[in-house]
Amino acid sequence: MNTYYAANLLVYAGVDIIACLALNLQFGVSGIVNFSFIVFQAAGAYAAAVLSMPPHTASGYEFQLYVGGFQLPFPLPWIGGALAGGLLSIPVGLVVLRKLRSDYQAIALLVTSIIANTVITNARPFLNGAAGLALVPQPLQDQIDPGTDWYQYFYIGLTAVCVVLVWFVASRIVNSPFGRSLRAMRDHELAASALGKNPVALKMTIFIVGGVIAGLSGAILVGFIMLWAPSVWLFPETIILFAAVIVGGRGNNMGAVLGALLVPVGFEEVTRLLPSEFNMLGFAITPPVGLIPALQWVAIGLLIIGFLWFRPEGVRPEPRHVFDGAPVVPDAPEVELVRTA
Amino acid sequence: MSLFAAAFGFGLVSMSVIALAAVGFTMQFGITNMINLAYGEVMISSAYVAYYINRAGISIWIGMIAGAAFGAVFSFLLNRIVYAPFQRKGTSLLGMVIVSLAVSLMIANLLLPIVSYNSVSYHQSSGGLLRVGGIILTANQIVIIGVAVVVMLGIHGLLTYTRLGKAMRATAANPTLARNCGIPTKRVVDAVWLITGALCGLAGVVAALNSDSFAIASGAGFLITALAAAVLGGAGQPYGAMIGAVIIGMVTELSAASFSPEYKDVVAFGILVLVMVLRPQGLLAKRGALAAAG
Amino acid sequence: MLAACGGGSSSSGGGLGSGDLLVGVIAPFTGADAGLGPAYYSACLAAAPSINSNGGVGGRQVKCQQFDTRGEPADAVPAANQMVASHSNLMAAVGCTSDEAATVAPIIDRAHIPMFCMTGQTEFNKTPLKYFHRLVPADIFDAYAMVGSALYGPGHAPYKRAALVFGNDIGSQAFVEPATNAFTKLGGTIAINQPINLTASSFRTEVAAMLQTHPDVIFTEALGAAGTYLGEVKTLNGGKMIPFIGTSATIDPTWFQQVKGAIGVDDLVNNYAGVDLGYSFSGPAYTEFLTNLNAASSQFADAPKYKQRGSTLHLYDGIIMTALAMTAANSSDPKVYNAKIKEIANGVSGAQVVNTYKDGVAALKAGKSIRFVGAGGENNFDQYNNSVSGYIMVKYDAQGNEVKVAQLTPDQTKKISDAGGL
Repeated sequence: MNTYYAANLLVYAGVDIIACLALNLQFGVSGIVNFSFIVFQAAGAYAAAVLSMPPHTASGYEFQLYVGGFQLPFPLPWIGGALAGGLLSIPVGLVVLRKLRSDYQAIALLVTSIIANTVITNARPFLNGAAGLALVPQPLQDQIDPGTDWYQYFYIGLTAVCVVLVWFVASRIVNSPFGRSLRAMRDHELAASALGKNPVALKMTIFIVGGVIAGLSGAILVGFIMLWAPSVWLFPETIILFAAVIVGGRGNNMGAVLGALLVPVGFEEVTRLLPSEFNMLGFAITPPVGLIPALQWVAIGLLIIGFLWFRPEGVRPEPRHVFDGAPVVPDAPEVELVRTA
Repeated sequence: MSLFAAAFGFGLVSMSVIALAAVGFTMQFGITNMINLAYGEVMISSAYVAYYINRAGISIWIGMIAGAAFGAVFSFLLNRIVYAPFQRKGTSLLGMVIVSLAVSLMIANLLLPIVSYNSVSYHQSSGGLLRVGGIILTANQIVIIGVAVVVMLGIHGLLTYTRLGKAMRATAANPTLARNCGIPTKRVVDAVWLITGALCGLAGVVAALNSDSFAIASGAGFLITALAAAVLGGAGQPYGAMIGAVIIGMVTELSAASFSPEYKDVVAFGILVLVMVLRPQGLLAKRGALAAAG
Repeated sequence: MLAACGGGSSSSGGGLGSGDLLVGVIAPFTGADAGLGPAYYSACLAAAPSINSNGGVGGRQVKCQQFDTRGEPADAVPAANQMVASHSNLMAAVGCTSDEAATVAPIIDRAHIPMFCMTGQTEFNKTPLKYFHRLVPADIFDAYAMVGSALYGPGHAPYKRAALVFGNDIGSQAFVEPATNAFTKLGGTIAINQPINLTASSFRTEVAAMLQTHPDVIFTEALGAAGTYLGEVKTLNGGKMIPFIGTSATIDPTWFQQVKGAIGVDDLVNNYAGVDLGYSFSGPAYTEFLTNLNAASSQFADAPKYKQRGSTLHLYDGIIMTALAMTAANSSDPKVYNAKIKEIANGVSGAQVVNTYKDGVAALKAGKSIRFVGAGGENNFDQYNNSVSGYIMVKYDAQGNEVKVAQLTPDQTKKISDAGGL
């Protein structure tokens, strides 16, 4: 295991942890089924890219067509990425969150994600269409040579700082009165609003917070892989992150972290180790070309389904918050979306 | 040849293809509350079944029926073996979506080693060209439009006039109440999966026939168009899906005729965005889609 | 037979080591471009026996392994990192397509592994990556060759009006601008430039719009969508096909079969013109390649179909040249032998030309320097490790084999590149 692969896994883990924490805030704590989540990560990545890249007329970049190109130094692109995620949440939230019941919200957000991907792919001058943005500068690449091990350690450290920051913010939210209001709204929206909580304002706020954090995760990822194309943020990516949050245990930050380590990092990377040759009874059996890669995906699907079947409450279920003197009730059932009209 | 007249004709074909897929998808959502992300893969599997039949020398129209039958059985089994057990366990809507995505990954990647990544085409002469006032359509395309019209009328008939159809509508509106009224919801759900599965299979063969050459990777695109049309019309509303299909199919082709064709999807989805902003529940959604005020 | 004991070759490279050697095929094996990985894998399946049955590399056997990039950059990065980290016996990496080359090439370069990438993307025309080797031409050269075919191709008067139909994806603009510049400066007109969404399921309105501009010829690539588009051209044009010229990427059994399924083999043979690098498909190198490729069908049934695919030929050559470079440098350390690859490809003055691994090793043992001219023909690496050689004009026969019809003269080539200007 060399430094770069370790760095790759750690940075991806960090990015996915941050994304899952954001998703947990939106979904686990507040009950918003944000099926367009990946768009906000993409917005952050694109924003960070166009803020840090030179203009497309610059030497070496002429093969691409994109807006922006301000060549801002780190950390401005990352801040810009986080802001972009937050800003995008506003119109999306205003339209979808206010008026729709949750299952309609879910499918509408899913379609939003598809629309965004199609538009960016086809509107080439905006963000270079299907080819995406390449040669994205890495943070502090002029100060530290990106070809060295030190740069990998630096990037891991940077990611870790962001993870800690996001964890801190997420914990504060979950354990605050705001967090309690969010959970009340998630569990019994009608009762919560009877108590004077404004579900729309609550939802918008957490949606934007989630968007900001998602944008940050995008900025971190694009700084590492130096390329961002529509193929990276297709709608199934959102579902994978949801799987992570569910598998890890919704509603609590630790669950989100565990889920991030298990699903996008664990399942997807462990399956790469499926051997391409077997030794059976002394014979080397080589499966047909392409079979093992295809089976890797089948394995990922089976792992997800397996976890959902055998441990639907997640690896670390949400702890019940019990207060002194309160009657102890069994775990609340999964939120069922029931048609009432 | 007026490009617009031709585009109108193509729009008729597009909307027929999309309608078949979208209605099936939306009925699955409306009655069983499943956002079935494996829908596109079932479509493409059925298209391949028809391909193998066609390759054995049999006409594609027979293949179409075979594809529909395969889609029906496949979807029925999918529900019985995977979806229903999870739903019985109390899995939420979200959990079911994740399950359906996992299933779609598995179907696509189990199919890949079997049929391989190559594109294939059906062997069917496209029939004569019909030219009417600027519209140009092949005989096959006219048959496709015909099939779609017949099927839509059939769905309308099913929902309006048959007991099963009324039971479906009741189950969609309120499953608990429906059960209390003596409707055998479990059997209704089975019937829904068979019927929408048949639609799915049929839509897959038709879409494959329409595109002259297809491969496994086409499945994702089929799902996306069905999803978009379904949401445009109001998720869960079969008539809404038909309208959504008409709009997307027609707008796509007409805008390809008016502006640069590479933006045709952008325009179609732009319409969708507009509708979602103005009427987020979709064009025909019932009032219940809206949350309680405040 | 072991060259490891420092005999013959010039440098004392530290010996060739022991154990198996690995060629990593890093490409999409699943997802939308699932066809690319196997095509490149077949090159390795053919190269390995050429090396292994002639003593291996200092006795070391070459093996091939797939590393699936899953067709998108974020998945390609861990694939490349895992490939590099988990295999210390990696001798070369092949594949790296346009889907992921931009992210994967720096990773492989940083690990000092020679790579042979299949991407025509412009950003690699002047790459600083020392371990990057490209044996396929940059897209602009394909574009010039297509213009050449339109203007100077045999069997027809020079075409006057061209329709450009390329995907709006990773390959498109790279063809459009040079083709437009060259064609218009040399007297032609671009009837329409029509970028298409390669994943769309039908293109009827686009085809109708294109037909209205009355082009004489269509320049296209449209991998994955060619069958659909061309099928509709034939239908909407009343059953009559318009001549179409394809890039070198269209010399591919998958493309042939897709278009044949859509418009029929006769129309394909009669209306298709392609451009390709000048392959002879004969000679000792090609013969050995073909034999091994056919033998590989036991592991990969489709392998023999790639017998005329340029990328397969080139990757085959690249792997053999790497093995020869290791032998010449007497080292299993890529930092030592990487530079030898270019030397062996271009040849130094006085080098003996060899066509097979066996001959190459023999010449090296005899103390000679060599130039390897393999199944794909001569290579001429420029300072950026891009190899460019002459184009020919081709067509398909009914079985999908490439048939050379003419060659662009150096004069014509110069005229076009001057007009194209890039």
